[in-house]
Amino acid sequence: MNQDRTILIVDDEAELREMVRGIFARAGYGRVVTAGSGPEALSLCASARPDLVILDVMMPGMDGFEVLRELRRTSAVPVLMLTARSEAEDKFTGFESGADDYLAKPFLPRELLFRAQAILRRTGRAAGRSVRLAAAEVDLENASVRRGDQTFPLTAKELQLFRKLYENAGRIVTTGALCETVCGPVWQGYESTLATHIRHLREKMEANPSRPVSIVTVKGLGYRLELPRGDGR
Amino acid sequence: MNPVQRFFRRYVFSVVGLLGLLVVTNMAVLVILMGVSEVQTPTDTFQITDFCDHLTGSGDSWQADSDALALLDRDQCWAMVLNPAGQTVWEYQMPADLPRSYTAAQVAQFSRWYLADWPVTVWGLEDGSLAVVGRPRGSMAKYYVAVERDYWDFLVLLACAIFYANILLVVVLFLHSARRVEKAMGPILNAIRSLADGKPVRLREDGELAEINASLNRAAAYITQKDNTRAEWIRGISHDIRTPLSVMLGYASELEESGELPDWARQRAGSIRRQTERLTRLVADLNLTTRLEYALRPIARQRLDGAELARQAVSEVLNEGLEDSYSITFTEEVPGAHLEVAADPALMDRMLLNLLRNCIRHNPGGCAISVTAAPCREGGCLFVIADDGCGVSAAQLNSLNRGTPLAGKEADSLGEHGLGLRIVRQIVRAHKGRLTFGATVPHGLTVSIWIGGR
Repeated sequence: MNQDRTILIVDDEAELREMVRGIFARAGYGRVVTAGSGPEALSLCASARPDLVILDVMMPGMDGFEVLRELRRTSAVPVLMLTARSEAEDKFTGFESGADDYLAKPFLPRELLFRAQAILRRTGRAAGRSVRLAAAEVDLENASVRRGDQTFPLTAKELQLFRKLYENAGRIVTTGALCETVCGPVWQGYESTLATHIRHLREKMEANPSRPVSIVTVKGLGYRLELPRGDGR
Repeated sequence: MNPVQRFFRRYVFSVVGLLGLLVVTNMAVLVILMGVSEVQTPTDTFQITDFCDHLTGSGDSWQADSDALALLDRDQCWAMVLNPAGQTVWEYQMPADLPRSYTAAQVAQFSRWYLADWPVTVWGLEDGSLAVVGRPRGSMAKYYVAVERDYWDFLVLLACAIFYANILLVVVLFLHSARRVEKAMGPILNAIRSLADGKPVRLREDGELAEINASLNRAAAYITQKDNTRAEWIRGISHDIRTPLSVMLGYASELEESGELPDWARQRAGSIRRQTERLTRLVADLNLTTRLEYALRPIARQRLDGAELARQAVSEVLNEGLEDSYSITFTEEVPGAHLEVAADPALMDRMLLNLLRNCIRHNPGGCAISVTAAPCREGGCLFVIADDGCGVSAAQLNSLNRGTPLAGKEADSLGEHGLGLRIVRQIVRAHKGRLTFGATVPHGLTVSIWIGGR
């Protein structure tokens, strides 16, 4: 389902470039191109039209931030920054210059794949615009859920919450993080409303809303979206 | 009051106290001496009354017994008795050149002053005769003092006033000089204290102690430079090591998950992956601990929700994948209570993750970890992380609570030479929080951390 996605990897270290290329190739991404420097990356961006750029920060000559600034003049392609530094200021500079996410080296392949997948989902570039769940199919484009022969519309907040869970599919999303998605940084006191939204989502998506299998409660922590095996995890 | 002020205050008190003691001691000695001299007159000096007790007779006929003569001989004195008319009626060892008859004016004169340079003492006898004893020349000083009573009183008052004014002056001068020394030394002593605490020092390089100030500034600059160099060096290494670690971690993880390899090879790849992750954390911890120690990592405080911080840390550990032998539960002591803390989110996350990972690393056989976020009367949030694992010895618990570094085997048993805990301690200190270690009943370790809300 990611066969038609193109990933561009930019890093001056050939071995790392090769390793990352292998990770994406084995994960089923159809086209993976690599660049060893900033200028090369910019010209590849124009010619190969990638769906996602994995960009290293520390490169000789033109560094990752410069490449990103240059790239943003012409393109809105999602960018995941890789950096050897894990300081907060790097993260800030990264987001300021328009990066979609940030991952500190060293990283586990599954972490990289997860972040890449989350960005693609968030920016609507993931394979397909619909998400298949155990008992239903969610159409993110039209904000609707089809279960059997019934179709339920999703409210704006329900869609926001589902997107957040979907971006982090298979992982626990805390109550606070979900509330923050809907309310912004001051979310305290919203927990009971969140529970109502989740109940509504379950009523639309689960075969048996009182025994959910897709939107699972993790006691005391939050919720986790379970996708059927082999579906984008 | 800081130690410098305390030192000077003690110094001033002790010197003023010593002055007081000196005055009191002097007075006491004086009073005692006066008392002694009242009670016990010196027996070895000549007393004319003693001599007169041994003198008998009247009119023109007087005798001295042998005791009286012995008294005179002992002190090389001479003696005479004048009758009321001023004639010498008895004499002993009297110099020949002295007249044997005196007028009333002469008697009045020598009784007050000297008789031809001989110091003499006189004593009136019963019938109006006068006993005169001459003592060796130069053996006595005779002064005659007679002043007006008012003037005498004034003199006594003046003497007292001068005495007390002097004491006051001494105290004032001493306080002034102590103040000057304090003013000059205070900044230096404070700077030394700052150096000991690892804080930056900047003294003015002027005045009498300019050289000492300049030396301290140089010492501080040297220490800072050394610290920064070390921190930058560690930062550089931790940066350069990340790319090779990425490649190792990537390939090891790939091999571990590869279906084409036999189990033993995948297990070994898994071991390489785990050790590489450990190495990664170790380097990152080393970097963070150095930056925290030398205050190179600014603390970006925000208003955060304590319960949510704990939920995120627990979720992160669970999302990383936890072996079945471990379990983590999170509870809010008062569900729905807003536990506001003012803290750096990245450091809070790091602190809780370090503690959770410590529980896992310290109990390789598995354990149940419980995380609780509880409200506190003084505000903020109390995080309690407890496991039911093997726990630590009483000695280790003691030194954990005292914050003294563990040595040798004890540190090793806490993993990574206690670096994870050291960072936890540094983060708690940077947030002015409290950290306590206790034992879980029946076994295991409980760590409680309080972080304030303001």
